[in-house]
Amino acid sequence: MEGRETERKAELEKMLQDTEPKPKTTIVWGTGLVLLVLPFIISAPLATEILIWGIFGLGFNLLLGYTGVLSFGHAAYFGLGAYSCGLALRYWQASIWTGLLLGIVSSMILACFIGALAIRKRGVYFAMISLAFGQMLYFLALSPLKQITRGEDGLTHIPMLQILSISLNRPRPLYYFVMVITVLMLYLTWRILQSPFGKLLQAFRENEERAKACGFNTTRVKFLSLVLSALYGGLAGALNTIYLGYVPLSTLFWLTSGTMVMMTILGGKGTFLGPLIGAGVFLFLQNTISLLTPRWELFVGAIFVFIILLFPAGIMGTLRDKYTSYRMVKLKKQIESSGDSI
Amino acid sequence: MFLKTEKVSKYFGGLKAVDQVDFNLKKGQLKSIIGPNGAGKTTLFNLIAGVYLPTHGKVFFKERDITRFPLHQVSHLGITKTYQITHIFPSLTVFENIRIAAQSRETSFNFWKTTYSLREVNQRALNILEQVELIEKRNWFAATLSHGERRYLEIGIALATQPEVLLLDEPTAGMSCAETNLCAELIQKLNQEIQLSVVLVEHDMSVVMGISEEILVLNEGRALAEGTPQQVSDNEEVQRVYLGEG
Amino acid sequence: MFFDVPWNVVVLQLFFGLALGSIFVLLASGLSIIYGLLDVVNFAHGTFAMLGAYAVFLAVSLSGSFGVGILSAVVIVGLVGGLTEYLLLKPLYGKDPLLPLLLTFGLSIAIPDLIKIIFGLIGKPVNYPQAFSGATILGPLILPNYRLFIIFFTLAIMISLWLFLKKSDLGMILRASTRDSGMVQILGVNVSRIWTIGFAIGIGLAALGGAISAPMMAATPDMGVDMTMVAFVVTVVGGLGSLGGAIVGGLFIGVVVAITSFIAGEYATVSMYFCMAIILLIRPRGLFGEIGRE
Repeated sequence: MEGRETERKAELEKMLQDTEPKPKTTIVWGTGLVLLVLPFIISAPLATEILIWGIFGLGFNLLLGYTGVLSFGHAAYFGLGAYSCGLALRYWQASIWTGLLLGIVSSMILACFIGALAIRKRGVYFAMISLAFGQMLYFLALSPLKQITRGEDGLTHIPMLQILSISLNRPRPLYYFVMVITVLMLYLTWRILQSPFGKLLQAFRENEERAKACGFNTTRVKFLSLVLSALYGGLAGALNTIYLGYVPLSTLFWLTSGTMVMMTILGGKGTFLGPLIGAGVFLFLQNTISLLTPRWELFVGAIFVFIILLFPAGIMGTLRDKYTSYRMVKLKKQIESSGDSI
Repeated sequence: MFLKTEKVSKYFGGLKAVDQVDFNLKKGQLKSIIGPNGAGKTTLFNLIAGVYLPTHGKVFFKERDITRFPLHQVSHLGITKTYQITHIFPSLTVFENIRIAAQSRETSFNFWKTTYSLREVNQRALNILEQVELIEKRNWFAATLSHGERRYLEIGIALATQPEVLLLDEPTAGMSCAETNLCAELIQKLNQEIQLSVVLVEHDMSVVMGISEEILVLNEGRALAEGTPQQVSDNEEVQRVYLGEG
Repeated sequence: MFFDVPWNVVVLQLFFGLALGSIFVLLASGLSIIYGLLDVVNFAHGTFAMLGAYAVFLAVSLSGSFGVGILSAVVIVGLVGGLTEYLLLKPLYGKDPLLPLLLTFGLSIAIPDLIKIIFGLIGKPVNYPQAFSGATILGPLILPNYRLFIIFFTLAIMISLWLFLKKSDLGMILRASTRDSGMVQILGVNVSRIWTIGFAIGIGLAALGGAISAPMMAATPDMGVDMTMVAFVVTVVGGLGSLGGAIVGGLFIGVVVAITSFIAGEYATVSMYFCMAIILLIRPRGLFGEIGRE
């Protein structure tokens, strides 16, 4: 009996192994390589922007692509993170880490408020309410709180920073600083997706009703997801402040939220690298079209409409779907050829 | 009484989907609910499981009033339902479908551990996969399963939540004769081997008559008759309304 | 603070609030119809209102008549709306419910830029129609005629709309389609066409709101999003899918914004979002809304 037991356990162990997905080494190294050489291919500032929006997108994608909740007011977190960091750096002579931390924490607290009020709402309803809150913050920063935020002028005179005695006001060092943080966030996101919570998110997106029937408190899931995405938003905002050296009012503007939505959909919601790819393609398009005409929004908007109609899964999403069908065909052939052995 | 409803009713505007039904289930019992389409069977399930709030009446589980408890809470108490139309997680693998249900009994708000370190959960999932005979297809995407296999997956997902009462909504719907028999055997095995109380909604009379200890007949939202399979099939009113047609 | 202000100023502010609110009512009722009928939140609602404003500008420059201007604005933009639904939104029905919202969002980004190319960046002013310039004097109250016009005109439109929905055949079909399109289809109605018509009507109302506000606010390319937001806030406050809610909500928000801009100007826009937040807290379904639609 004992021998059979251990044999059985070993069999099950092996089965568990083959169900566990592993990151493909080529993709990991490939991404790493691209990140390292990016500032040499395109300008360092553009590359830094791509990474900042990429971080913002990683969090946004957790909410939209995995949990299935659309927030049209995510600029609120980005902007609040940017302003908190900016204020801390300017008035309290805070260190860079304090600035980042403050950006993250303030955004997460805001998410708790908005989540408490609105997270139970249906998808499209929540999307618009979150936009309304974003707008509220924008108009608050524009006028009533002008003393603090300096309104339309934005928050300026943010001191230059140093990491390990390397000044961050030169483009390349700044880029690599942001890159290190990006890599950290990518790893964090991977761990989250592999965790029980991450798996729950994926099931949730597939079939919320069934997840509820299994016993999961769906409101709590959505709430946590929102707060988590605000973490990324706040961090991205704070990084944006460090990158720009000032905080423009536009960080709270609805177009910032909208841009995030477009980037995520373009890259492919619900895919791991989608947000980064989306940020890259979007900013690249925006830059290139701006060279020809200031009316880049027309083209970007039209392209977005086109994508929604024909390729709603985005770049990585469409690729993934193709890969999935390919893999299923392979699996079927495997089962058929191996008969009924396990 | 393990699970019971007391004059439970659900009205949708003027439509009385369920009207003052008393339902009783003893621990370890396998009971079926039958009735023509629209008799209110699925609605009764939904009332017990917490999907709907009753218009009148109460639901009791282990002497506790669970009338107002929502779906996810009822699930944690030990009552799990399956769906009439298959309601699985299509883009996840078969293994993942069951594993996620098994995970519901642990806390899921854990961001850091990898799921594969939750040994117990994973073992349980694999065991259930074996029980519903889907172990070979564990890496397949659920969307690619055949209809019968999906119904089994449906049962597997429910089992993974470690229920004390299983509400099965037409599990053999759409299955072939052979598949139906196997499914009936599985249900009976579950009831007897692990003392799982089962409430079964079914249209296939051979299954109902074959494995049920007791049957409740519903018609137009009201209870028509109740008793052993023999008593029910002998009941004249039931014959007239339901069995008499076939 | 209130007691320092002479009562006629307060009444005047209320009056301005009603006029502003009337425009909100037009916008919100259109949005509500579209949402109630199609389950689509039209992010480009304000954009169509903006098109209405530009249409009136064009029509008035060409014909010199404000009446022709408004009529053509509603008809032309309404048709554009119907076309949009037919070509762009219909393919998305039955898929992810977020897709129509996202598509209209894309439109709200692209169309203003198109307007900027055609009409330039600076807003186009529209003159007050001769008939409604000047003011009516009621004792110490000086009420601008155009705003009187807005209030009564909106009232007339709302009554016509109510009559249309309640009494006419098409109106009844529209109302029935919101609840149970399945049933209506069985009765032989071409639901697809109903949806297009319903959308066009909603857009027509938006265009009307934009057209009427043009003399007050000028037609600017970027006025769209703010109008969409107002329409949405009013809908949340009044209750989704309720026309009565759109009316009460619109007037209420209009008055709140007018009074706030008088007392503490910089909080004017914030005040309406604040109202929305309060409603979400104490009565999430809105003043006249039904549970479950949200």
